[in-house]
Amino acid sequence: MKSLTLLFTTFLLFLAPISSFGSAVQDQVHLHSIRADFVQEKHLRILAKPIVSTGIFAFQAPRSLRWEYLVPIPSILLMHDGKLSKFVKTDGRFIEDQGIGLDAMQFMLGEISNWLDGRFTDNEMFVASFPDKQTILLEPREQSLAGLISRIELRLADQKGVLNSITIYEGSDSYTRMTFNNAVINKIIPSALFIQK
Amino acid sequence: MKLHNFYLVIILSLLVACAAEKQIDLPGLNPGQQIQGRPNCAAVFPQGKWQFVHSINFTVKNGTSTTVLGVTSLTEKIINCALITVEGLTLFEAAYSKENGLEIRRAIPPFDNPRFADGLMSDIQTIFLSPTAGDVQEGQITGALAVCRHTDDSGRIIDVLPEVDDCWQIKSYSSDMTLDRSVVGQSCRKKSSTLIPEYLELNSYGQTGYTLKMTLIRADIF
Repeated sequence: MKSLTLLFTTFLLFLAPISSFGSAVQDQVHLHSIRADFVQEKHLRILAKPIVSTGIFAFQAPRSLRWEYLVPIPSILLMHDGKLSKFVKTDGRFIEDQGIGLDAMQFMLGEISNWLDGRFTDNEMFVASFPDKQTILLEPREQSLAGLISRIELRLADQKGVLNSITIYEGSDSYTRMTFNNAVINKIIPSALFIQK
Repeated sequence: MKLHNFYLVIILSLLVACAAEKQIDLPGLNPGQQIQGRPNCAAVFPQGKWQFVHSINFTVKNGTSTTVLGVTSLTEKIINCALITVEGLTLFEAAYSKENGLEIRRAIPPFDNPRFADGLMSDIQTIFLSPTAGDVQEGQITGALAVCRHTDDSGRIIDVLPEVDDCWQIKSYSSDMTLDRSVVGQSCRKKSSTLIPEYLELNSYGQTGYTLKMTLIRADIF
C-alpha cells in the first residue's frame, strides 16, 4: 500500500507552487493561493487515442484544496480544516468515494507545507534537476518507486509562480500530462469553494 | 474502513461469488420453433477491433464504492484492459489471448493478486465475448423473451437475451442452475452491427457479491 500511496502522491505534485522550485529556476514568488483550469491527457500503449479529462483546481495556504474533474467522470477532492473527502458523481449525485487518495493526501499536507517554505529539494521521494530554465525534472530516489514512475517533467509557464504542464511518465509508452490554463495566483479564495460539492 | 481493507474487499468481491444468496433459478426454455425468426444474439457482442472506455463504479455489499476509468480493447486474438484512476494513475494493465494466456503488464498492490486479474478478465469476457464452448439452443424464456442458451461441458449455462427493453441482457447460471452473474445493458445504440449499451450493470451474486456500474465514455472501431 505504501507504493500506492507514494504513486498517488506524485499525481498531486502540481500543487507545488513554483516558488518552491527554488531560485535556480526563477525568482521566488511567494504564493498564498492558486486557482487554474486544467486539461489532463492519459496516454497508454493500448489506447487508440488518449483519454482527455478537464477540470479545475484551487489551493490556498495552509491546507485547503479543491481538485475537481468535470469530464469524463465528475469528481471532487476536497480538503479543508484537516478534513479530506472525495466525491464522485454516481447516478446523478455526488457520492463519497472510499477509494484511492485520502491517506495519500494526509501525507501530502506535510509536503505542501515544505514547498510553501521553498524546500522542494528536500523531498524524500524525488531528486530534482533543472535541465533548462523552463523545465524541472524529478526522478525517483527509490528503485521501488522508479518501477512505477520513471520520471516527472514540470514545464513552467511564462507567468511567474505557475506551471504550464506536468507530465508523469509511468513507463516508456504510458504517461499523464496535465496542462494548466487561466491560472490566478494570490487572490483570496472563499472557503466555501473548499467545502461545497 | 482503511484503504487496504477496502481494496481487499474489492478484490475478494471481484472473484466469482460462492453460493448464491439471492437464489434465482434457471428459467425454462421454450424451443425455437415457437419464435418468429432467430434471435440476433451475435449483435450483443462486438465483432472485429473495438476499444471501449467506461466509467466503472465498483460497489460491494456493504455499500462502499469507488470509481475508476476502464479501458477494454478487443481484437480477434487479444483482449487488452486497463484500470485507471480519475487522476490518471494506471492501477492495472493486462492482456489476454488464447495463445499466451494472461499477461499482467502492470499491477499496483493490491491489484497484483493473480486472482484479481482472473476475476477481471472473467467479467470482461462475460460482457464482451460470445460464449464459445458447448451446446447452443435458441428459444424463449418467461416473458416471451428471445434467448440463446449456451451450455458448457461442466453444466454452466449462459443465457444471452438480445432484445430486452431497449438493449440486451446476459445471465450466467452455475451448474446447480442458480443465477451467479447478470449483465443488464441499457440504452443500446447500434454501431456497425453491434448493439452498444450507453450503460450496463454487472451483478455478481453470493456472499461476496458486487456490482459494476459501467457508463460508456466512448466506443471506437479501430
